[in-house]
Amino acid sequence: MLLTSVAIIGVFLLVFAGFIVKDVIVVRRSAGKLERYSFKESLCSYLMLLPAVALICIFVLLPIIYSLGYAFTDYYLLRPDDVHFVFLDNFKDIISNISARGNVYNAIINTAKFVVFVVPLQIGMALGLALLVNKKLRGMGVFKVLFFAPVVISLTVTSFLWSRILGGGESGLLNSFLVKLGAESVSFLFEPQQSMYWIVLISAWQGCGYQMLIFLSGLKGIDATLYEAADLDGANVFLKFSAVTMPGLRSVLTFVIITVFIGACKIMVQPMLMTGNQSFTITLNYLMYIEGYTYRWVGYSSAIALLMTIVIGAITFLQRYLLKEED
Amino acid sequence: MNKCSSRKAAKAAGRCCTYFFCTVIAVLFIFPLVWMIVTSTKTEVQYASDLGSVRTFLPYLADLSTFFDNYGRVLTQYDIWKYAVNSLAYAACVVAGNVLVNALAGYVMAKFRFPGKSFISFIIMFLLIVPVETTIIPLYSIVHNLGISGTVLAVILPPIVSVFNIFLFQQFFYNISREYIEAAELDGASQLRIFFSIMIPLSMPIVATVATFAFIGVWNDYIWPTMVLPSPQPGEWPLYPIQAALTTIQSIENVTTGEVMASLVITSVPIFLIYVFAQKYIVEGIGAGGLKI
Repeated sequence: MLLTSVAIIGVFLLVFAGFIVKDVIVVRRSAGKLERYSFKESLCSYLMLLPAVALICIFVLLPIIYSLGYAFTDYYLLRPDDVHFVFLDNFKDIISNISARGNVYNAIINTAKFVVFVVPLQIGMALGLALLVNKKLRGMGVFKVLFFAPVVISLTVTSFLWSRILGGGESGLLNSFLVKLGAESVSFLFEPQQSMYWIVLISAWQGCGYQMLIFLSGLKGIDATLYEAADLDGANVFLKFSAVTMPGLRSVLTFVIITVFIGACKIMVQPMLMTGNQSFTITLNYLMYIEGYTYRWVGYSSAIALLMTIVIGAITFLQRYLLKEED
Repeated sequence: MNKCSSRKAAKAAGRCCTYFFCTVIAVLFIFPLVWMIVTSTKTEVQYASDLGSVRTFLPYLADLSTFFDNYGRVLTQYDIWKYAVNSLAYAACVVAGNVLVNALAGYVMAKFRFPGKSFISFIIMFLLIVPVETTIIPLYSIVHNLGISGTVLAVILPPIVSVFNIFLFQQFFYNISREYIEAAELDGASQLRIFFSIMIPLSMPIVATVATFAFIGVWNDYIWPTMVLPSPQPGEWPLYPIQAALTTIQSIENVTTGEVMASLVITSVPIFLIYVFAQKYIVEGIGAGGLKI
């Protein structure tokens, strides 16, 4: 582990040194056409870059390289010196788990369910709120703040708050009203059929204020004369929306769709705090955490992470391609 | 004349509709937070008697003798103030380190000429674009093997560096004229001095944005601290930050709903304050996020 880390950072430094030598030689060869590097300025730059580059190497670059490498090993966290290269064994395990409808299968289904519902819901809500708040009426600033408020509180607070609201027994907020109305109390978050949809609703509630602000800045960028022209042509609200607003928001919308999609794929805290490890709410990122941290099977966990990265990367690429295509 | 007034009436009706619609949505959006704050002021008996009626959303303003009891108990008995102090300390370290390290790097990348620069900018662009979604487990294994797992360094060091912030600073410093630097160099100021006494004051808006987001990030982080820090032991000063402490408080036996809500409110207050006072920088930061693509 230590040895490989030192080796990777060594390779990094070697490549860096190679680039330095290349740059110096290029300047020398240019015979005065290019300005020479000042030794003092260069040394100063390296010293000032040192903290950032060192931290990037250790805490950003190494984890990326390891997440690729670990996926092909049987690394168990507490046995760092006893790591074997097992090639595709982890992926074979994942596939046999999926075909046996094990927890990887559940995690994929739940994550897909979450993403498919939360992305349109959250973006639709955000766009609707942005259009509402964008009206030039007095007091809209207050509503903007109110709609943004759920963004402010942390995932932990939201999760604990909503588990009390949706909680089972008669002391949950929603249940207390249901019981009053004569219905049976339901533990909403532990009903396998509904649990994931509640999490979708809560996430959209908490997240959409953020995208609302992004849409608002997009709406501000649309030329007001376009709306005036549409008014003169007698366009109604829907026509104005489809002919002026939507085209004006295209690039913002692309950005929002991709960021919300990537964020949604990584969902983990809400199921973790609201239901714990349950077959009906486990998600891919949460499963990766359980395998890698709770069970300490870093190798297997990294294989799941690698698959996730590939799938998210591919879909993001596809989205970007399709959204560009329409232009 | 008649036509004009009917149009005015229609406009007024539309305005009323908008306000009504906005109010309904606002109520739907805000009721959990109102319930959280109101419940945090109630005793368990009050809470239980209000269940299932509108009174659940109304505080007991007539009798204020028990109004802050939950807060008192959460702060003294469950020691949430210690966790809050931890969170503040971690956030202060990360904010200071984050601004310093990334501003330095962004400044060098924007204004200095040195061999090997293309390689560093390649690394920065690469890390900005490449979608690496999940490296938390490898990061954990690195921190574990470095031997800093279980110490405060594990929560402070990794979030200090941010490639995106380096990029933000770099963009900002590009647009600052070189003349400032040259004039200071003529006066014989050292590079570090130029950075601290000219560049940092000039870049205050972006420093504020970066600092605000770094603070919110650290204060709201839950998973990473619970992974690398030991859970609190009786009789010792805990290492957990406040978000992690919420889990601990939840699992205390006989904890009342009011106490839980009080702890949630205490956890949210600093972030609410930040949003009120640094709203401008947050909006700018959200806008800057759009640069990323």
